[in-house]
Amino acid sequence: MHTSHRSTVHHGGAPAQPAGVCPAARPGQGRRGRLAGPPTVALPYCDRVTLRERHNVKLSGLPDGTPMVFAHGFGCDQSMWRLVAPAFEADHHVVLFDHAGAGGAHPDAYDAERHATLDGYADDVVDLLDELALGPVVFAGHSVSATIGILAAARRPDLFERLVLVGPSPRYIDDDGYRGGFSAEEIDELLATMETNYLGWSAVMAPAIMGNPDRPELGSELTELFCRTDPKVAHRFARATFLSDNRADLAAVRTPSLVVQCREDVIAPVEVGRYVHENLAGSEFALIDAVGHCPNLSAPDELVGAMREYLTV
Amino acid sequence: MTPAGRARSWDNSPVALLRLDGDGRILDANDTFLAWAGGDGPGERPDVRGRRLSDLLTVGGRIYWETHLAPFLTLQGRVDEVAVELRTPAGPLPVLLSLVARRDERQAVVDVALFAARERVRFDRELVAARTAAEEAAERLHWVHDALTVLSRAATVPQVEQALTDSVARHPAIAAAALHAVGAGHGGPGQGRAGHGGEALATGDDAIQGGTAGGAVVVPVAGTGETYAHLEVTLHGRPGDPPLDHEALRTIAQQGGVALERALLHEQSVSVAHELQRAMLTQDLPSDGQVEVLAEYRPAVSGLEVGGDWYDAFPVDDTTLAVAVGDVVGHGLHAATAMGQLRTATRALAAPGLGPAGTLGLVDQFVARRKVGYASTLVYAELDTVVGTLRYACAGHLPPLLVRVDGTVEYLWGGRSSPLGVPAGGGLRAEGEVRLAPGDVVLFYTDGVVERRDRRLRDGLDQLARVAARRDPVDEGDVLGQFFDLEANQRDDACVLHVAWRGTGAVPAVEVPADVGAVAGLGS
Repeated sequence: MHTSHRSTVHHGGAPAQPAGVCPAARPGQGRRGRLAGPPTVALPYCDRVTLRERHNVKLSGLPDGTPMVFAHGFGCDQSMWRLVAPAFEADHHVVLFDHAGAGGAHPDAYDAERHATLDGYADDVVDLLDELALGPVVFAGHSVSATIGILAAARRPDLFERLVLVGPSPRYIDDDGYRGGFSAEEIDELLATMETNYLGWSAVMAPAIMGNPDRPELGSELTELFCRTDPKVAHRFARATFLSDNRADLAAVRTPSLVVQCREDVIAPVEVGRYVHENLAGSEFALIDAVGHCPNLSAPDELVGAMREYLTV
Repeated sequence: MTPAGRARSWDNSPVALLRLDGDGRILDANDTFLAWAGGDGPGERPDVRGRRLSDLLTVGGRIYWETHLAPFLTLQGRVDEVAVELRTPAGPLPVLLSLVARRDERQAVVDVALFAARERVRFDRELVAARTAAEEAAERLHWVHDALTVLSRAATVPQVEQALTDSVARHPAIAAAALHAVGAGHGGPGQGRAGHGGEALATGDDAIQGGTAGGAVVVPVAGTGETYAHLEVTLHGRPGDPPLDHEALRTIAQQGGVALERALLHEQSVSVAHELQRAMLTQDLPSDGQVEVLAEYRPAVSGLEVGGDWYDAFPVDDTTLAVAVGDVVGHGLHAATAMGQLRTATRALAAPGLGPAGTLGLVDQFVARRKVGYASTLVYAELDTVVGTLRYACAGHLPPLLVRVDGTVEYLWGGRSSPLGVPAGGGLRAEGEVRLAPGDVVLFYTDGVVERRDRRLRDGLDQLARVAARRDPVDEGDVLGQFFDLEANQRDDACVLHVAWRGTGAVPAVEVPADVGAVAGLGS
């Protein structure tokens, strides 16, 4: 059934081009700041670059296995999954990608207009899955990507077999009768903190990554572009992430899902995880013994265990 | 150093030092840190062991810790010089934070150093503010500059309106922009893309109304004096949207007002010129049983310029009909008045017995003497309505097209000389002559009929000839419409004069010399 969606691939069904066909930097075009480019064009990129290239897609594992897509959250890129994804390579077709504006995504993939809301990111996921044409996937979304997965699954249930939502929060700011964990002022404070730290961020981070005698297992490829994000994009992604309210979208999801909640998480507190579980039909809830918002890095074994248990049922 | 000395250095270090476990919980903290964090009373030291360091930061730093620092620390093993704020009884303390992860014998450990950085952070914030201001200024300049560029290219009122709303709507935070005529309320000269009727928008002369939370903003579109319209801007109100720069919006709206004013003035002047030209073109063309004259004039579609095409037909004597089609060099009011003078001069100078070449010679003198219509083109012809003899002279003008009653067509390439005011060889104008048969038609026209930017003039003439050759003589509906090429250069005027000689067929054929040029020279 999934192959019937091949026709919706966004660049006229052109055959995949080898990487690097599209010039990465086109002087005077498209990168002039947030006002650049025609605002109504959904995909204003070089049309010869496939979405696969645009989102820096990495495929691994069993090509015949159930496809499993890992989506990273705010603040980093697909390397967030480096301690989890390999655990599924033996029996899954593993797909890693970077959101527009993050990590190794093509510079032109980010469009201020399209990505002003999480819907734009959800559209990206739908478009990418359409192009990859892998059939219904298991979608593991961390943090804001849990919400992105919810939006995408509501839009195109046919593309999703199951959702794994790690640390989801449909709304971060408190509201009447709802506790998201933050006030609007506190989110402003986060944006200010980011601003201060992005001053010279790109220059400082790269040398800091060089050489890592204590963690040789991580290898030196981290020195490349680990979690590098254009500060402007990061700032807007933060706004799209923390100022969104997607509680109403939960009701539209019919895909079976697992909510993975850390025992202690200031970004997505336990009660928010429970809220998602209670408002998401067909969801299961797994509380794992992990602290912080990134169990995929701090407690990969617990997370893998919870996911395996859910996926093998 | 002795172990005791080390311990003293640990506690008295000018930087706050901590040791955390793998979850970020404090295992140990030096005295400097405890002094900063503060206890319940003065001089007291809090017990922070077991608490997570991120919990001791302000909210911004806490989120940043969870979303950035913790992942970086896991993946890179260290993080350097990150600016966060420590919560203290005396208020937030800006610190620079460095973290190194390592593994001792039993567990994962994170060594932490915090530098108090009040001055440094203040400086950083000033830098950030300055950079933000610079970036916003650059964005504003881009937006305004792009809008001004588009506005400067817009000539007509609808073009200006379109340019204004389009360029404003390019801002990513703006969902739609619409213009509302002053006093007309909604539904004025709107170009908006989103329907937005309903609520009444209070509009001040100079103030931005309305909020910015996904609502509407209204700014006046004013020229040097009056306000022409109000520009209503609807915002997306999406979380990731950049803020709307109201000052820039006002600047664009103001420039839109100036452009609108300019366009209105221009349209007024163009309309006067068109009116003048129409008034000067002959409305009652002579027609009788023997000859029928039809004319059609089509102004340039873009409507901006008056082209200066003109035509005329009038009797010279009882059996001679004069026809003239001309094209004045230039555009606008000047061309319109010049064509009026040329037309009047031609009518006044034409006289029985003078003939086309002679008449052109006199018009030439008029052009030279009055300095009117220099280098304009003119075809002037006289038809003997009894015998059907057509004598003609072309001063730089395109050749008349003879359409025989049997459908054959022929351009009349005789009688050619230079445009008006440009000295003709020997001071005399050339003249051609052709004998018409009853039912024959001669077309006089201007270049707007055959010229097209994407083809050669020759091809345009061929096409006109083809159209003329297959024309259905019975069709009386729109005889002339078929000659206008819809794809022709519509920025130019075009006119066609259609002279059909019915004759009687009773006049005996007379042998006509091939060339009778200059038979009626000047005063000779």
